[in-house]
Amino acid sequence: MPLSGTFLADLERIVGAEGLVRSAEGRLVYECDMHTFYKGAPDAVALPTRAEEVVAIVNLCRRERVPIVPRGSGTGLIGGAMAPLGGVMIGTNRMDRILEIDLTNRCATVQPGLINLSLTRAVATQGYFFAPDPSSQMVSSIGGNVATNAGGPHCLKYGITTNHVLGVELVTGTGELVRLGGKAERPGYDLVGVAVGSEGTFGIVTAATVRLLHVAEAVKTILASFTAIEDASEAVSAIIATGIVPAALEMLDAVMIRAINEGTGAGYPKDAAAVLLIELDGPAAEVEAQGERAARICWARGALEVRVARDDAERALLWKGRKEAAGAVGRLAPTYLLQDAVVPRSKLPAIMRELIAIGARHRVQIANVFHAGDGNLHPLILYDDRVPEELERAKAANEELLLACIAMGGTVTGEHGIGLDKAKNLPFQYADADLNFMYRLRRAFDPDGIMNPGKLLPSHPACGEGFRPARPRVPEGAWI
Amino acid sequence: MPAAARSIGEALVTIAGREGVQDDDRARTAAAVDGQLPRWVVRPASIDQLGRIVALAHDDGLAVVPRGGGSALELGHPPARVDVLVDLSGLDQVLEYNPDDLTITVQAGITAGTLATLLAPRRQFLALDPPGAAARTLGGITATNASGPLRARYGTMRDLLLGVRFVQADGVVTWGGSKVVKSVSGYDVPKLMVGALGTLGVLGELTLRLHPLPDAERSWLVLLASAEAAQAFIERVIASPLQPNRIEFFNDRALRSVPVEAAAAGVALSIGSVAEAVREQGERLGVMAKADGARIVPLPEGFWSRAARASTEGNGAVLHVVSLPSRLAETERAIGDAIRTAAPRGEVWISGCAGLGTFRVRVGNASAAETAVATTRLRARLMDLVGSVVIARGPAELRKAVDPWGPVETGPFALMRALKDEFDAKRVLNPGRFVGGL
Ligand SMILES: Cc1cc2nc3c(=O)[nH]c(=O)nc-3n(C[C@H](O)[C@H](O)[C@H](O)COP(=O)(O)OP(=O)(O)OC[C@H]3O[C@@H](n4cnc5c(N)ncnc54)[C@H](O)[C@@H]3O)c2cc1C
Repeated sequence: MPLSGTFLADLERIVGAEGLVRSAEGRLVYECDMHTFYKGAPDAVALPTRAEEVVAIVNLCRRERVPIVPRGSGTGLIGGAMAPLGGVMIGTNRMDRILEIDLTNRCATVQPGLINLSLTRAVATQGYFFAPDPSSQMVSSIGGNVATNAGGPHCLKYGITTNHVLGVELVTGTGELVRLGGKAERPGYDLVGVAVGSEGTFGIVTAATVRLLHVAEAVKTILASFTAIEDASEAVSAIIATGIVPAALEMLDAVMIRAINEGTGAGYPKDAAAVLLIELDGPAAEVEAQGERAARICWARGALEVRVARDDAERALLWKGRKEAAGAVGRLAPTYLLQDAVVPRSKLPAIMRELIAIGARHRVQIANVFHAGDGNLHPLILYDDRVPEELERAKAANEELLLACIAMGGTVTGEHGIGLDKAKNLPFQYADADLNFMYRLRRAFDPDGIMNPGKLLPSHPACGEGFRPARPRVPEGAWI
Repeated sequence: MPAAARSIGEALVTIAGREGVQDDDRARTAAAVDGQLPRWVVRPASIDQLGRIVALAHDDGLAVVPRGGGSALELGHPPARVDVLVDLSGLDQVLEYNPDDLTITVQAGITAGTLATLLAPRRQFLALDPPGAAARTLGGITATNASGPLRARYGTMRDLLLGVRFVQADGVVTWGGSKVVKSVSGYDVPKLMVGALGTLGVLGELTLRLHPLPDAERSWLVLLASAEAAQAFIERVIASPLQPNRIEFFNDRALRSVPVEAAAAGVALSIGSVAEAVREQGERLGVMAKADGARIVPLPEGFWSRAARASTEGNGAVLHVVSLPSRLAETERAIGDAIRTAAPRGEVWISGCAGLGTFRVRVGNASAAETAVATTRLRARLMDLVGSVVIARGPAELRKAVDPWGPVETGPFALMRALKDEFDAKRVLNPGRFVGGL
């Protein structure tokens, strides 16, 4: 439904002409996030500079029941920052200031549009950093990280975004500007905890107070290659079992190794079926001792070779292949479906076997680069989009794989989030009562359902008005 | 007893069995919460039974008060009503332990002590050490978001709870979260249950993240001339490459109750890592202390449990004060002033996670009325610090005289009330005890 002229005029009064995108070409830029499969341009894009403007926009949209879609940098991989129902998109790019850096209390307050890495850069010289490090950290916004509860390679040791958010300022679906949490914790329900990861369905984050950590004294990066993915997986479990919590523990499988080697060439051994990237950080003595132990474990599991970076340049080289992974598969196939399911770490060998079987069954190639330390898979299911039937096979393989992960006690998504893409998969993991609880939770923040509608929760009877989950039986009696 | 009530009692027996339901005066008196006697004390043997008990209470407009170890029943407002006291100690099973994944799923009535014993042979642990943990149930620790010195390194239950099965106010058994260490599948429902005092759901089952026990661990106490000196020292430790797993501040009296040595203020630290690193970090700590002109003494094994015990001794009120690390000294002074002004003979033991600005304050020699005045005074003093003063323990008289939670801002509170209205409109679960009387 196109927006009326008066509505657009009101919107322009709030954000000014320079803060409003109305043209068809202009809006096209906002029709999808990095999951380009899902398209839907908003009817207008508002680019506010202050929280008060956000409040005014939400109130305007609420009055007219116009859907609102928040957007940070649009690097999401889930069909999140796009507008399947049209409406107004609120882009946070112009709200990108650091409001306060408080090193004594090790935290910072920032506007949502600030790029993740900019915060670390601002405090790096004083020896601090912002721990959540999605691979997109050079471009993704902190508001987007908070909204998706983003993870990253180093969250194995440091935790995901939610472990680093102390407070958020949120404009809820009712147009209320609320400050949840803050530098010091306060009694009451953990509203910050549920707002993080709510993908814009509770409201728009207009500021966040996040923790800053002190940079570790020493870092050690080790690269170990194996001839069998089972051996690499066992090395992962053995490292963790000895009490080492690496900062990162990443794995590449044979298909991925080949793709990378054929490209710029990280120089992985040709006959390696798995490459493990282990990064340790902390006090120097600890890193030294644990590094030796981790290397010994890899040798004991039959590693082909174990390389230890001696300086930053070598460290960068070991990471190079890992960082180029997504680009490298472009050499194998034009496109891919990216998965983000998680299995318990001990199930890695089993799921890798299953994954190869699924690939064979559906005649698709699957490349893997993943956060092995926490069992977070990132299979890339390769297909050629010029062959219509290939997509269908890729989709079938994708779903089977998800179900396999869940059957092993896993979860649908470890860090990317749900969006439009995975909403349909949530019922794999949750019973009706669980979904209904989430639906009602959302309603407390956004009773009119105008915030990012269609995202996160599936269209499912349990996520609708009037649904009542089955209640336990109560003995019959005369007292009622 | 009126006829209707008798049949509710019978219904409860149908659900939980004769041995699971008590309504005699002795049992009811023993289970009193703030002097209010429940009409029934019910001990479910399964989550299914728990769900049916809550469903029954819901349909009959009865109030349910869950009880774990019974150690934090003085937290919050005195309950508005107590009809069915649900004793969760029967739900004490380990459902699934995956040592290779460092995760465990347990029923909420298991105690932290039992869990620790079970995990020790695998050299793993649940990194939470609130005072009295051994006897407390994990459900209780979750509902009250209790923590201890280890939070300096490992965080609180908020960072360790992966999944939760709970019973909603209408009896529907619900699951939130996941059983793996990383998941963003849907809303983070476990966060909502942490610290909610069971007012949005009765906790039945918890999936927890575990940690490996460090190879070696040693502790030291740094003795300082003042809270200011302690604050400065802590700031330097935090800005250094050292990675302590505990950094606790102690005021003079708290130090004397431990007891190790006397000083105006002390900072106790522990370092857990591989043996080489513990030794090396210990040496560096020594150098840092000396540079500050402070004395440092190694702490004996058992220090931390002694400190935990000391922080709950006696029967005076316990306050949880939250401020900021940068205001440590100022907060310490404010606490002392507030209590001494209100209660001339009052005594204060202060300890706390100094690096995070959270303090545990035990008050002695002060009446309930005096403690109430001190609490209000302290809140006024700390107001600009955006922190809070919560009465974690104290007689009902005190918690009636002054709001045990303190004020909650209107915006967030409106959302909290909306959640309570959504999930427990009939006010079945722990009515009245939570913030703002929710
Ligand atoms: C190359 C590449 C690598 C990646 N690596 C990782 C990774 O390692 N780990 C990981 O977790 N993700 C990764 N991602 C996914 C993505 O970068 C993250 O999800 C990131 O957090 C999204 O930030 P954004 O600013 O781009 O948000 P967007 O894509 O703009 O939005 C994401 C979601 O958040 C909502 N949103 C955005 N801003 C706000 C706000 N201020 N208030 C409320 N809601 C808001 C949107 O509506 C949308 O639903 C990667 C993506 C790419 C392209």
